[in-house]
Amino acid sequence: MRYLGIALLCAVPIACTEVASAPGACPTFCPNGTIESRDTIFTDIIVRDSSFRGYVQGYQAEAMTAADIPGVIDSRAFFVLNDMSTRTTYRAGDTTTVPIVPDSARLRTIIVRRDTLATNLRLNLYRLPVTADSNDTFASLDPYFNSPPVDSVNVSAVLARPPITDDSTRQIWGDSIWTDSAGHVITLAENGRTLVLFWHLDTLQAPLVEADSGSLAYGVRVAADSLATVAIGTLESARNALLTWYYHYTVPDTVTTEPDSVKSGSAPRAPRFDSFVFDRPVPPLDENLVVGGAPSARSLLRVDWPEFLHDSIDVVRATLILVPVGPVLASPADSFEIRALPVTTDVGAKSPLALVFQGLATIHPQTTDTVRMELTDLVRNWALDTAQTTAFMLGQVPEAASYTEIRFYSSRAPAFRPALHVTYVKRFPFGMP
Amino acid sequence: MRVGQPDGRTAAAIVILAVVLVWPAGRLAAQDSQFGIRGLGTPGKQESVRARSTGGAFAPFDAFSPLMDASLVDVRRVGGSVTGALSRRTVDIGGTQTPLRGTRFPALVIGGPIGRRLVIAGGFSTYLDRTFGISTSDTIVVRNDTVPITDAVTSDGAVADLRLAAAGRVNRWFAVGGGLHLLTGSTRVEATRTFGDTAYRNTTARDQVSYEGAGASVSALLDLGASLRVAGWFRADSKLRAQIRGKTAAENDLPNSYGAGILWRPGSQFALAGTATWRDWTASAPNGHNTFNWSLGTELGSPGSGFRLGARGGQMPFGAGSEAPTEVGLSAGIGKQFSAGRGRIDFGVERLERKGLGLSEQVWTFLLGLTVRP
Repeated sequence: MRYLGIALLCAVPIACTEVASAPGACPTFCPNGTIESRDTIFTDIIVRDSSFRGYVQGYQAEAMTAADIPGVIDSRAFFVLNDMSTRTTYRAGDTTTVPIVPDSARLRTIIVRRDTLATNLRLNLYRLPVTADSNDTFASLDPYFNSPPVDSVNVSAVLARPPITDDSTRQIWGDSIWTDSAGHVITLAENGRTLVLFWHLDTLQAPLVEADSGSLAYGVRVAADSLATVAIGTLESARNALLTWYYHYTVPDTVTTEPDSVKSGSAPRAPRFDSFVFDRPVPPLDENLVVGGAPSARSLLRVDWPEFLHDSIDVVRATLILVPVGPVLASPADSFEIRALPVTTDVGAKSPLALVFQGLATIHPQTTDTVRMELTDLVRNWALDTAQTTAFMLGQVPEAASYTEIRFYSSRAPAFRPALHVTYVKRFPFGMP
Repeated sequence: MRVGQPDGRTAAAIVILAVVLVWPAGRLAAQDSQFGIRGLGTPGKQESVRARSTGGAFAPFDAFSPLMDASLVDVRRVGGSVTGALSRRTVDIGGTQTPLRGTRFPALVIGGPIGRRLVIAGGFSTYLDRTFGISTSDTIVVRNDTVPITDAVTSDGAVADLRLAAAGRVNRWFAVGGGLHLLTGSTRVEATRTFGDTAYRNTTARDQVSYEGAGASVSALLDLGASLRVAGWFRADSKLRAQIRGKTAAENDLPNSYGAGILWRPGSQFALAGTATWRDWTASAPNGHNTFNWSLGTELGSPGSGFRLGARGGQMPFGAGSEAPTEVGLSAGIGKQFSAGRGRIDFGVERLERKGLGLSEQVWTFLLGLTVRP
């Protein structure tokens, strides 16, 4: 009998059934029902949309734009460096100091975006007052930017030169190095599109002024045959400008048994402030949806989600349709992304955002093409979770790093209002024979 | 080796065969029929391995076949029987053949006598099999673009027939039986659409469909002399209600069943039987057909350990067109008693061919049955 028990135990798993998939000969030998896709453009689903400005200031941006597009924009970057000591101690633990004598300085600027089609791309460096800050405007700094530049570099020309290939230099600077006779050095970083530009400055170009506590301020203008636009990294992106002072000082023989000796050193100084100014006034908000600019503007779009989309369908694709009021006036290289992020709680302009289910769309200047942004994951989340706030915020990526902004028609423009194009699948009619 | 005593060889054979049947359980398989997809399902064969090896002809006279209740009067002591089946099915649609495999556990009967004249039994069997999977590839036009899609619809489950039956002998030559049937079960269903364009998310809908219904059956056995036995039965079932999350999704009529059989046993080493069954499935589904099925079978040797042969034919209840799909089959099997007749193991093999408008199926089914009388 014990063998019978074993056999029965072994036979029990036979009760499990398996499913075989065979090619279906529909509709004759298929279930009575199909997976039915529907496609609808909800033209009145976006409601109570508004724009707000002031989320990120230019000096809080991840980059600062320098551009010179005649008739479009003149944007100038500038930064104020941290103080530099004019004296130093010559022995650890000793409070006695001696003056330092600057020999030279090397300024690093990181160009995070440029138009590779630009020819004769030049960067000019200007001295600015160390008091420059967020209160300064294009007009207030314009005189300094119109004075003779401290230095200038032709980036296109430097890059056109043969790269440095000797091993000793490459061990210090990296694989891709270009330089010119004026001491400018350019290296490639990251994805190969980011340029690290080093300026060699003498004591006249980078004077150590005790009255300014050793601080310096510089501005950058850009010029080119065309497409003169670059973005320079800032403190917020950890790609900030950096000035390294090279100096020497003398250790007096009165404190040692040695005769006067000269020692040298270096001290890097990062900016305490960086920003950019441009000649175009920030246009006021109007009835349209504004995204971008500096200070940055965002648009809050609320979605009146139809009830039937909650429980009877599965969204397979959702696309936000936005109609620009006009083309973005900027260089083609100043294309930018706008991002939609879901609002976790709708409290208006200060609604907290969730960093999931984002939608992205690239805005190309000088075109008025309808913008389509895929919001499938976000909309699927709304369909599955009725507790979600059905609203999202449109913002620029990165914010306030450029003068560029785009305006879309809002729900107050019936013919061009935002719409949501939803493709969904209806619930399969299970249970029907 | 002493006959009827447990020994190592018998046990090993049992275990090996059981393992052979269990082994392919993880593979794609199906014992169902494509003809049942667009309908209520594929009716199960309410037959033990012994009866099925005879084409089903012995089912009305086999106490451990759940087809008829009156045959329970032959149960002299408490016993149980279980049936397992492994099938290989080839579906031919327009010349394209798809091989499928599946396993089932289609019937269990446990019964025993209460007093001298009454036997009660319970168990379950497959009433409607609803396990299938189909996939189709096509293109659809979405957003003015042609997008390739692949749809897959699967169903895994069955409607089971839970039976509580009793049979009693009125006199030496006449016995009657009756049963109550609770139809229950569920299927896990899933419909998936996979888009060839990654801009679209694939969609999957899952649900569980539960079924409920009820039925009653009556039957009788009439012995006409020592070698001839006649059986007749009738069964009526209520509507089959399909529910999803407590809401009724569909309600379908179930058929009345009528059947009769005759068994001729001229001696202890030979028996011949034939049955005929009629069911009215027309009202059950739009593509339903009334079915008539017959079977003819024989058992050579002693009833417990004989060699069996059978043939069956008839119709399938669901199919396209005005005529019902047909099913014909041949079967064979053997039985082996052990433990002094306290147990019996049955093996069977069945070959079925089903044909209907636009589709045909060939099925090999390997059967294993265990009957225990402690």
